[in-house]
Amino acid sequence: MIAFTDIVGMDLAKQAMMLLAVDPSLGGVVVPAAVGSGKSTLARAFSGIVSEDTPFVELPLNVTEDRLIGGVDLEATLVQGKRVVQHGVLSKAHEGVLYVDSLSLLDSSAVSHVMDAMSRGAVLVEREGLSEVHPAKFMLIGTYDPSDGDVRMGLLDRVGMIVPFTTQNDYRARKLIVNCVLGKRDAEDTEDELKMLRGLIEAAQEQLPLVSMTKEQMQGLIQSAVSLGVEGNRADIFAIKAALASAALAQRTDVDEDDLKLALKLVLVPRATQMPPQEEEVMDDMPPDEDMPPDSPESEDQDAPDDNSDPDEEEEEEETPDMIEELMMEAIETELPDNIMNISLAAKRKSRSGSRGEALNNRRGRFVRSQEGEMRSGKVAIIPTLISAAPWQESRRAERKKKFGEIKTALIINKEDVRIKKFRDKSGTLYIFMVDASGSMALNRMRQAKGAVSHLLQNAYVHRDQVSLISFRGKEAQLLLPPSQSVDRAKRELDVLPTGGGTPLASALFLGLETAKQARTKGVSQIMFVVITDGRGNISLQSSYDPDAPKATKEEVQQEIEAISATIFAEGVASVIIDTQMNYLSRGEAPKLAEKLGGRYFYLPNAKAEEIAMAALS
Amino acid sequence: MTQTASAAKKTASTKAKSGSVAAKASGPKKARTKKKQGTAFPFTAIVGQEEMKLSLILNIIDPRIGGVLVMGHRGTGKSTTVRALAEVLPMIERVKDDVYNRSVSDYIEAEKPKKGAKAMTPEDMTIEDIPVPVVDLPLGATEDRVCGTIDIEQALTSGVKAFEPGLLAQSNRGFLYIDEVNLLDDHLVDVLLDVAASGRNVVEREGISIRHPARFVLVGSGNPEEGELRPQLLDRFGLHARIITILDVAKRVEIVKRRHEYDDDPQAFLKKWTREQNKLQKRILQAKELLPEVTMSDEVLTDVAKLCMQLGIDGHRGELTITRTANAFAAFNGDKVVTIEHVREIAGLCLRHRLRKDPLEVMDPGEKIDRELAKVLGEVEEV
Repeated sequence: MIAFTDIVGMDLAKQAMMLLAVDPSLGGVVVPAAVGSGKSTLARAFSGIVSEDTPFVELPLNVTEDRLIGGVDLEATLVQGKRVVQHGVLSKAHEGVLYVDSLSLLDSSAVSHVMDAMSRGAVLVEREGLSEVHPAKFMLIGTYDPSDGDVRMGLLDRVGMIVPFTTQNDYRARKLIVNCVLGKRDAEDTEDELKMLRGLIEAAQEQLPLVSMTKEQMQGLIQSAVSLGVEGNRADIFAIKAALASAALAQRTDVDEDDLKLALKLVLVPRATQMPPQEEEVMDDMPPDEDMPPDSPESEDQDAPDDNSDPDEEEEEEETPDMIEELMMEAIETELPDNIMNISLAAKRKSRSGSRGEALNNRRGRFVRSQEGEMRSGKVAIIPTLISAAPWQESRRAERKKKFGEIKTALIINKEDVRIKKFRDKSGTLYIFMVDASGSMALNRMRQAKGAVSHLLQNAYVHRDQVSLISFRGKEAQLLLPPSQSVDRAKRELDVLPTGGGTPLASALFLGLETAKQARTKGVSQIMFVVITDGRGNISLQSSYDPDAPKATKEEVQQEIEAISATIFAEGVASVIIDTQMNYLSRGEAPKLAEKLGGRYFYLPNAKAEEIAMAALS
Repeated sequence: MTQTASAAKKTASTKAKSGSVAAKASGPKKARTKKKQGTAFPFTAIVGQEEMKLSLILNIIDPRIGGVLVMGHRGTGKSTTVRALAEVLPMIERVKDDVYNRSVSDYIEAEKPKKGAKAMTPEDMTIEDIPVPVVDLPLGATEDRVCGTIDIEQALTSGVKAFEPGLLAQSNRGFLYIDEVNLLDDHLVDVLLDVAASGRNVVEREGISIRHPARFVLVGSGNPEEGELRPQLLDRFGLHARIITILDVAKRVEIVKRRHEYDDDPQAFLKKWTREQNKLQKRILQAKELLPEVTMSDEVLTDVAKLCMQLGIDGHRGELTITRTANAFAAFNGDKVVTIEHVREIAGLCLRHRLRKDPLEVMDPGEKIDRELAKVLGEVEEV
């Protein structure tokens, strides 16, 4: 295995892990990074810097609910003739590390259980006749590739440190890893370094109770959390703990600027829901989507800094308001590398070939109840099987004794006793709304479209469906809301949707397709596109991502749209096209799009919002 | 924090010493019970979030209010507050070791004697005091544990089909808490809706047929961004408290400090807050006693009805909830007469989730309710 000290790059992630090792109550570290950046190597290497007897448990993505939470141990139960409890993955990680690779691909019910265990420090097992509490205080180390989708904010909130997404040093790091694998580094050196690191951490743990922070520093951190719009109180506590741990690592008794900066970078900035207020005026008339990748974890954050404003300049004008605020600006700047766009696009192209996680859905979903069935046709439900066999034991034993003489088995289970687990599929449909917000959508049309979407959303949530929202305007489409059950959020995003600019329809369809594929890997089988547009795409996919690309002709744009539409149709995604074009202006673009997508077509100007909603959902 | 469900179970199985039974001349005998000190973060030490705390307290004063749904930002102490509730709850009397927490009269009514057997009398029974149970229903709970099922060990060892009660039984006459209620599986939601509507749990499975009382105050919490609640379930909650991140830095510093102090030495922290806890508990008890004497004038009642009509709220649940909640609120404040000011304070809590959903409405429901109430009272001109 590659040691912690051998990994080059990912410095911030390593720093975060050091802090976690010093103070496990920081809850954990989440590392978002692209494929091949060595994030999982680093996560595994973490076990090398904590004491040897610390459990390190990996949570497989296809984990079932009973394995996660715990349940009845079949073999032991059968042998002993009484209920034997098996602890789940969560409680096995007690006082140790729970490692999840590809956190964003983890099933949403599994995420809920991890969240619950983290806030309780225990697992409540109320299943299959069991009622127990298993301790489960663990450090969560999670890694994920942002191009696979987002991690639920509820989970991230319970993890102390979230390493800013970066792809720097990627190449260098990989090369070093390769070198290391080839044995170019001395194993003894490595062991010495690790020993030193462990010593450092132990010393820091002893130092930690002696470290204190001034009231001003504490207020400063909390003020930063407020300005960044961080939700809740957990982050305050984590930020303070991170700063204290950082000071302890440096063998200091008081917290200095570097400690605060680190706490800002690792704890507060990644949870920001807004930019600090002083930036606001600049944002109003600028399109907010320039620098944001559609699938970055901060996609909620509308107020990304843009190229035209220079934060340094502003700071000079404003006569040093507060040290903390300055540090915060600095931390935010480093958090959004400018090459971020290229990278996530590269990852996208890769996943386009669909290499990832296709087979994850087999027999997943939630175990609901049991029913009679063939042993081979599914998973056997142990307890119900035993229950149905129980009343007959005495008579069967007697009967068998009569036939065969002495019997050895403790239990006699016949074929008709077998009960099979019935799983509930992830029911419900994912509706991906793609709203054309280009200049050609007149404002009143937009209002109508929003009304229709709102009605669809209302209906969708009655059926426990998921919704996702993509808007397209200007150069490219943007994922405003990744698949979620929150109608509230979708509505909020809609309310503030700016309009104007070109119509990058191809980009929207492409992004929709990507979102659909990701949802499929998470077990959503039914997907429907609801495209609200006049159908007049005029920005090609290539120019969406490459500003230097030559302007595409109308025909080229049209060809692109047709090609993507055909792929969407082939993927089995259903579509509804809601045409917003005035009759006398229409050249039939939207009906054509509906045809290519094999979807249904509605003409909005004549229809009421509710009618469209009903029609689309019927 | 996890003591709630298991504590209730433990209490049920504690054997009372026969010597400690205080025999009375008539009525049931009483076993002595000691209230166990929990280790949850003290309710009174929670900073801010008054709306949520008030809703919970009002539900203790009058459980018929119908529970509370707490929705809001993550990390704002929703579950901490609910789990802290157990410590300020009063005691109730139940038939000793009864798994359904029944009172003597409920017990006698339910356990009809077999033909020929002598009818049960209160004198035959022993009662005990238990704290009002708070039962935690985790998301991963299976239906058999929620509703109860056949006792597998008994079934295997002796071939007897005995019923093993579930969480619904434990929560009878108490609180049933579901964190992340908006993520609860649909089939469990169906079960809850059924039971909450009828007040009893009916189990017909694996060859057993049992019905037992299950009247509980339903408390749910969650973050609306994680998912919506089904309308039928939403409607079940009497009150809807909203909770948002505190923006006051000084308060947040205080939160951090208290948390730190608690984590450092829970026992010392609990001791420090004992007085406040006792004070609140006493106030709640007094309110409970005062409640039957609280009255609401026809005038106020008319205004409440008008408000619900103005807001277009279907059915009578809106008026009923406001009336009960306002009475409890008056009692909590030591007032015997409900005024419109009491109503004003709690109207948002009662009606917020009952407003008809209008997708294009931008006004906050709380504001809308306040505005309509002002209109009803003639404080502002009709627009």
